[in-house]
Amino acid sequence: MIFSSELIKGTLKTIVLKLLADNSKMYGYEITQRVKDLTKDRIQLTEGALYPTLHALEEEGLVTTELEYNGKRARKYYRLSPSGKKRSRERVTEFSDFVETMKLLLDIQPKTT
Amino acid sequence: MYCITDEQIEYILSDIRRNGVDMEDLQYNLLDHICCIIEQELKENDDFERFYHATLRRFYRRDLREIEEETINLLTFKNYYAMRKVLIASGVFSVFAFVTGSAFKFMYWPGASMLLTLGIGSFSLLFLPLLFILKAREAKAAADKFVVAVGTAVGALFSMAILFIVQHWPGANMMLFSAIGIAAFILLPVYFFTGIRRPETRLNTIIMSIILVGIIGLQFTMVRLRPSASQTWIRMVTYAQDEELLRKMQATHPPGKQAAEINEISDQLKGFVLQRSIGMDSIPPGFDKMGLHLNEGNLGKEFDNNGNGVQLLVRLRNAVNTYNAALNNEALKIPVNNSVLATDPAMTGALYSNLSVLSSINQLQRYLALAENNKAAPAQ
Repeated sequence: MIFSSELIKGTLKTIVLKLLADNSKMYGYEITQRVKDLTKDRIQLTEGALYPTLHALEEEGLVTTELEYNGKRARKYYRLSPSGKKRSRERVTEFSDFVETMKLLLDIQPKTT
Repeated sequence: MYCITDEQIEYILSDIRRNGVDMEDLQYNLLDHICCIIEQELKENDDFERFYHATLRRFYRRDLREIEEETINLLTFKNYYAMRKVLIASGVFSVFAFVTGSAFKFMYWPGASMLLTLGIGSFSLLFLPLLFILKAREAKAAADKFVVAVGTAVGALFSMAILFIVQHWPGANMMLFSAIGIAAFILLPVYFFTGIRRPETRLNTIIMSIILVGIIGLQFTMVRLRPSASQTWIRMVTYAQDEELLRKMQATHPPGKQAAEINEISDQLKGFVLQRSIGMDSIPPGFDKMGLHLNEGNLGKEFDNNGNGVQLLVRLRNAVNTYNAALNNEALKIPVNNSVLATDPAMTGALYSNLSVLSSINQLQRYLALAENNKAAPAQ
């Protein structure tokens, strides 16, 4: 099952921030691939959502960027700034609280394996 | 792994640009992303173009530009949509008020001034600044931001200058010249040299620059042609003749005490107006050889609020009324109804030009001379 884009939209920033916190620097394609791998294809970030978000994070000063030129191509790497690291922790904590609350609200029993 | 050639990279990049993605950052992001996908997924013998277009199709719902639009939306403040609404509303309102205002003015209907002021005012003080805020956010390079800033400032100044001209407010010419000057010597060069350096904007820059030069040139020609020198000259000569005629009428018989007072106030008033227009109290003899020009213009600050000009007009009106009241012969009374004295003195500055005040006062004095001469030697 692939999650709907509505569900992903609100968490996209959190996902990107967390990935960048775990990996020192990443580029756009790498982020989409990592998410695909980690979620076993269940979450697929669309390019149309990822790049606007990355630009917004850059504008907010949460990530810093560096361009690496390769012939006619240029690859833009993203890295968390100090405020980005702080925000990453906040967003992850906030989201896990949210998940706990949703479990209560929707009365979801954790699956026992 | 598929190996992408430089030609293919060029192809992808120009296709991205052609699809309306203007932000350089985003262009390179998308280019690299597509290259990664192609390198990972395309087989050595597959059709590159077909695979590329199928891949690109996954990026968007409507068209590729929506990625850029979404980026701009996220980058611009939260109230982006509200600002855009105000922008469009103020634009529509300005155009509507301006067009109806012009039509009203053309038909001499009341409310024209208010509509024009509202229309041009909201265009230059609301629409253009908002446009600047939204556009400046999109412009990445400092030079582009500068062009947007100067461009909107020139636009605002220019439309305000037009408003000032239409309303006969002081300072209109200075505003118009500043707008044209800034456009010609700052906006145009910066716009041209920043645009010409980028291959993708080169053609547009050249065309836009030519259009801009044309508009500035036309504006400048219009400013220089107005007012026509020969017309100015004819009006000045006509007024000088009127004054000459008045002096001849006055020379026949010396005026009485009341008439002398009216003449004195009148000469002072004319002196005020002439002083502002030609720097002298009266038109000197031999003016035609001096290259003097009496341009039609506004009356200046003496006729605003409660200035000296306004006070003199009040005195003149009282003196003329007293004079008329003392006259027995109805036919000789000075007609004030269609003269400058019929207007509220405080409004004269807004309604009359220098030339119309001069000639109206001259007429009053000629009527006066006629009455005085008749008193001294009654017509048979």
